Amino acid sequence: MKLVQKMRSRMAVNIIGAIVMLLVVFGLIVSAIGYVNFTDAFKREYSVTTYHMADTAAALVNGDHIDAYLQGERAEEYRQTKARIDTYCARMNVSLVYVIRVDTGDYGRFVSVFNSVNNTVDNSAYTEWELGHARNTTNDEYREVYRSLYEADAPYGTVYRIRPGDGSHPHITTLVPVKDSGGKTTALLCVQRPMRELRDAQRPYLIHIAVSTVILAILASAIAVAYIRTKIVRPIRTASDEATRFAKENTKGEPIGGISRYEELQNLTRSIDTMETDMVRYMENLTAATAEKERIAAELTLAGQIQMNSIPNDFPAFPDRTEFDIYASMDPAKDVGGDFYNFFPIDEDHLAIVIGDVSGKGIPAALFMMVTNIIISDRTRMGGSPAEILAYVNDDLCKHNKADMFVTVWLGILELTTGKLIAANAGHEYPILGQNGAFALLRDKHGFIVGGMDGIRYRNYELTLAPGDRLFLYTDGLPEATDADERMFGTDRVLAALNGAGNASAQEILQAVHTAVNDFVKDAEQFDDLTMLCLDYRGTTGENTYGTTA
Amino acid sequence: MNIRQTKNEKALTIAVEGRLDTMTAPELEEVLKNSLEGIEALTFDLEKLDYISSAGLRVLLSAQKTMNNQGTMKVLHANEIVMEIFEVTGFSDILTIE
Repeated sequence: MKLVQKMRSRMAVNIIGAIVMLLVVFGLIVSAIGYVNFTDAFKREYSVTTYHMADTAAALVNGDHIDAYLQGERAEEYRQTKARIDTYCARMNVSLVYVIRVDTGDYGRFVSVFNSVNNTVDNSAYTEWELGHARNTTNDEYREVYRSLYEADAPYGTVYRIRPGDGSHPHITTLVPVKDSGGKTTALLCVQRPMRELRDAQRPYLIHIAVSTVILAILASAIAVAYIRTKIVRPIRTASDEATRFAKENTKGEPIGGISRYEELQNLTRSIDTMETDMVRYMENLTAATAEKERIAAELTLAGQIQMNSIPNDFPAFPDRTEFDIYASMDPAKDVGGDFYNFFPIDEDHLAIVIGDVSGKGIPAALFMMVTNIIISDRTRMGGSPAEILAYVNDDLCKHNKADMFVTVWLGILELTTGKLIAANAGHEYPILGQNGAFALLRDKHGFIVGGMDGIRYRNYELTLAPGDRLFLYTDGLPEATDADERMFGTDRVLAALNGAGNASAQEILQAVHTAVNDFVKDAEQFDDLTMLCLDYRGTTGENTYGTTA
Repeated sequence: MNIRQTKNEKALTIAVEGRLDTMTAPELEEVLKNSLEGIEALTFDLEKLDYISSAGLRVLLSAQKTMNNQGTMKVLHANEIVMEIFEVTGFSDILTIE
């Protein structure tokens, strides 16, 4: 069963099977046509020769005396004619020779005039009709032949019995008119002759054709098999094997493009060659691209580390200072980010705090962030108010800023002993101030972003932090953190999270906000850098009014 | 985001609809790059602008810088959210907002 299924799926077997079937059908059709033509030719030949035989016999009968014979007159002449016809019948190898007078009213009856039987010719068992023996016409075929001979002056008529129903052998009956001296048909002479030759020749002829067809079919199949195997199946199998091998090994094989001279197979095999070359090249490129991508990824990771290390990220940052605690975090959306924070002491009593956000994201923003952070910290250490520092930074950045990038910056300088905070805001988000355990937006004065346009002036503002106050700074990545439904976290949720954290430490406050924002965005991808910073001011007494002491 | 331009000789009005953020800002930048030649009065109609991010602000800043050299630029119909962003970032100081 498996073998049969396997054979059925083989192309060569199918094609050859189809060819054999076609040849068999072809043979059958040829045999049928040959048989019909053969029979027709035989019938024509029989018809003509039997006509001549009948015509000769008709000359033996005197057409003027038919009626006389039937009335019993001219008995001697009748006897002589009968004897000649008998002789003729015996000599000519025909089964029957008979003369009949047909009733010309409807040709439905006739009477016998002469009747000779020769049963030896065809092994038949006819008996002679007597003079005047009356019969009804056998069938319409005979009736029409009678009519044509009596009325239409036809030279002869033929009735074939190729496969007689009565069990007798195939025979032909040819009828010719017997005419009187006036040319009028007075009787019909019929000759029945066996078609033994037809029967004898038919079977050998059919066997001959059948055998020839079978031999031809076998020969043609053999040639087709050999041809298809070498010219079609083998190249296809080579192509198939090569494709299978390539799918397994993924390596360039020997070219197979020239194995066939047929266009279709050439196209197929050449396509396989081309495909292999392209695929191998593609895989090499992909490998190279992947390696390159990995290298870039590794570099980006390293760049991210350098960036993280360019800002203070070791907490607690000032373990030996009791006046304040500070905690910050930066989570870039990509390996590197455009956000930054910074804090550093300017002198014994002053702490600088910076948070910034570069327009855009990724590597350009990261490079710009590094530059900005360095300029700000260098300039801040040189002294001056936040407004002066930002004006300087702005002008410096504008000089070399061809890409129209800009930074939002909040810069504050805190006097640690007094809690006095002088700050300037260059387009950055509103700071959040926590006083008496309640957090609220500090709607401070805003100047223009840094790096956008030179000559910008910034304004300082001043506030005093009481011990226990907290300052929370963030970038827009926090309120604009977005969930899967495109909803933003918003400053209200930021405030709620902060108020919920209440009197916790700076680190705990940041963690609480982180938790809140993570719960909000859930699985949505982080789209923007997210940076937060929290200052916990305790004053010179080192007290922490609301929080747990460090 | 949708951008519709209406030009009247040397005056060009650009109506921006939807969100102007990192994804869409380059499109507006491209439009401006091709349209500002010879324009002396540029108007941004922000009536149907829902949100603007720093990338969008950057495009407005570039346009403002270009127009500082060749004419005037003003911003119309900014909604509350967009206006808040203009104020926070200080853009309200350098843009002509009506």
